[in-house]
Amino acid sequence: MEGTESMERAYSRARILVMLGIILALILVDHLNSPTFAFNSGQGNVETALTQRDETACAPCGAPCPSTRD
Amino acid sequence: MTDSAVLQPGLQQPGWQVDRFIISTALVGLALLGGLIWLETAPFMVALFAVGTMLGMALYHGAFGFTAGWRNIVVKKRGAGMRAQLLLFGVTSLIMVPMLHSGQEGLVGAVAPVGTSLVVGSFLFGLGMQLGGGCGSGTLFTVGAGNIRMVVTLVFFIVGAVLGSMNLPWWLDQPGFDPVPLVNTLGISGAILAQFVGLGLIAWWVNRIERKAHGTIERDELLWKSQGHGVLRTLLSGRWPFTWAILILAAGNALTLAIGGAPWSITFAFNVWGAKALEVVGVNMSQFEFWTWDYPAMALKDSVLTNIPSVMNFGLLLGAMLAAGLANRFNEASRNRPEGRQFLAAVVGGSLLGYGARLGFGCNIGALFSGIASASLHAWVWFASAFVGSLIGIRLRPWFRLPN
Repeated sequence: MEGTESMERAYSRARILVMLGIILALILVDHLNSPTFAFNSGQGNVETALTQRDETACAPCGAPCPSTRD
Repeated sequence: MTDSAVLQPGLQQPGWQVDRFIISTALVGLALLGGLIWLETAPFMVALFAVGTMLGMALYHGAFGFTAGWRNIVVKKRGAGMRAQLLLFGVTSLIMVPMLHSGQEGLVGAVAPVGTSLVVGSFLFGLGMQLGGGCGSGTLFTVGAGNIRMVVTLVFFIVGAVLGSMNLPWWLDQPGFDPVPLVNTLGISGAILAQFVGLGLIAWWVNRIERKAHGTIERDELLWKSQGHGVLRTLLSGRWPFTWAILILAAGNALTLAIGGAPWSITFAFNVWGAKALEVVGVNMSQFEFWTWDYPAMALKDSVLTNIPSVMNFGLLLGAMLAAGLANRFNEASRNRPEGRQFLAAVVGGSLLGYGARLGFGCNIGALFSGIASASLHAWVWFASAFVGSLIGIRLRPWFRLPN
């Protein structure tokens, strides 16, 4: 297995790291403001989505059945 | 199959060259995100993250997708890509239909209503596939492999998905009926058999087109030996024979069902990401009916790390990045920067993909692949409508300076 240090790269390493860093930061910020993080931090009476599923829905996105709509 | 995936030839170099930076970055990303998921959620989410990673590698190394497969049978009259998809559907339904009806609690299939929303949505999705340059899975794995044009498609995929979520309730009020699981009327064996007949008929039609145009049929979908390199090197650096990708993708969907309780889906995560972004800039998403339904409301409120499609998508992106690094082809598809109309195609195609996926109850993975694996009628309607949309998209591609 050989590296590609001498090959011309088609991308900027810094740009890749910045993009991935931004995505990771967004995920972290979202998580730190979530009920699951609150629950993990010891706050009771918090409803998390982890083990919940709407099995009465009519589609994977949670849409109701046409027959139940007025 | 995405545009870039089609162009991926077998490795020609005598030595095995890899992109160490991309491999290291992907592995660090997998470790960081996997660790965070482990610490903050539950072990089964880590398992799903790993399955997503495996699927990303399989999609990239197998160059397995839907867009170019559909285009190849129309334009080049070659059917290996289509037949590989049909084989994938057949193998997976053989595994998953009995799983779903084994009596095990907590397993839910990918079933959805059949009606105006489904037909219009899947038609728009098919159109968007050809303009955007990829389907749901294709867009993600090519973004993971560093394709800049597909980043544009993904951004507008998310925009379209959020718009679709705002409009879906209206579309649901148009003519349509409740889901039709084939097992309810045909039983487990009957449903599998009926689907095999359907897949066989499509395969016969594909073969007929190919034989008429070329006199013979290329059976690339049945190749199982690695070409030119040893098994281990081919496994790590690609390109995989179709059969490897078919088996891994089928196993991946079945594992997703067994671990997560529902088949593999991709595009719901795009809805969640887009809606969260809008909430950050002050939009109250609960004013839209879609976001008041239990599942979307829960997903919007809680961490993306608790949302199965999101976690699997993160794994898929990093898995494709790792695979591209191992193949030394990261960002390769972006060497020739697309000009104006090609970017416009990504914008229009991405928007249609997103809007269509929401109205059509998923993409080629959530609605078509997982839908057939769940023996749901809606998947077959989706297939037909999306193919018609794809035909129009293929006609429009030259105007957007996209090669056919």
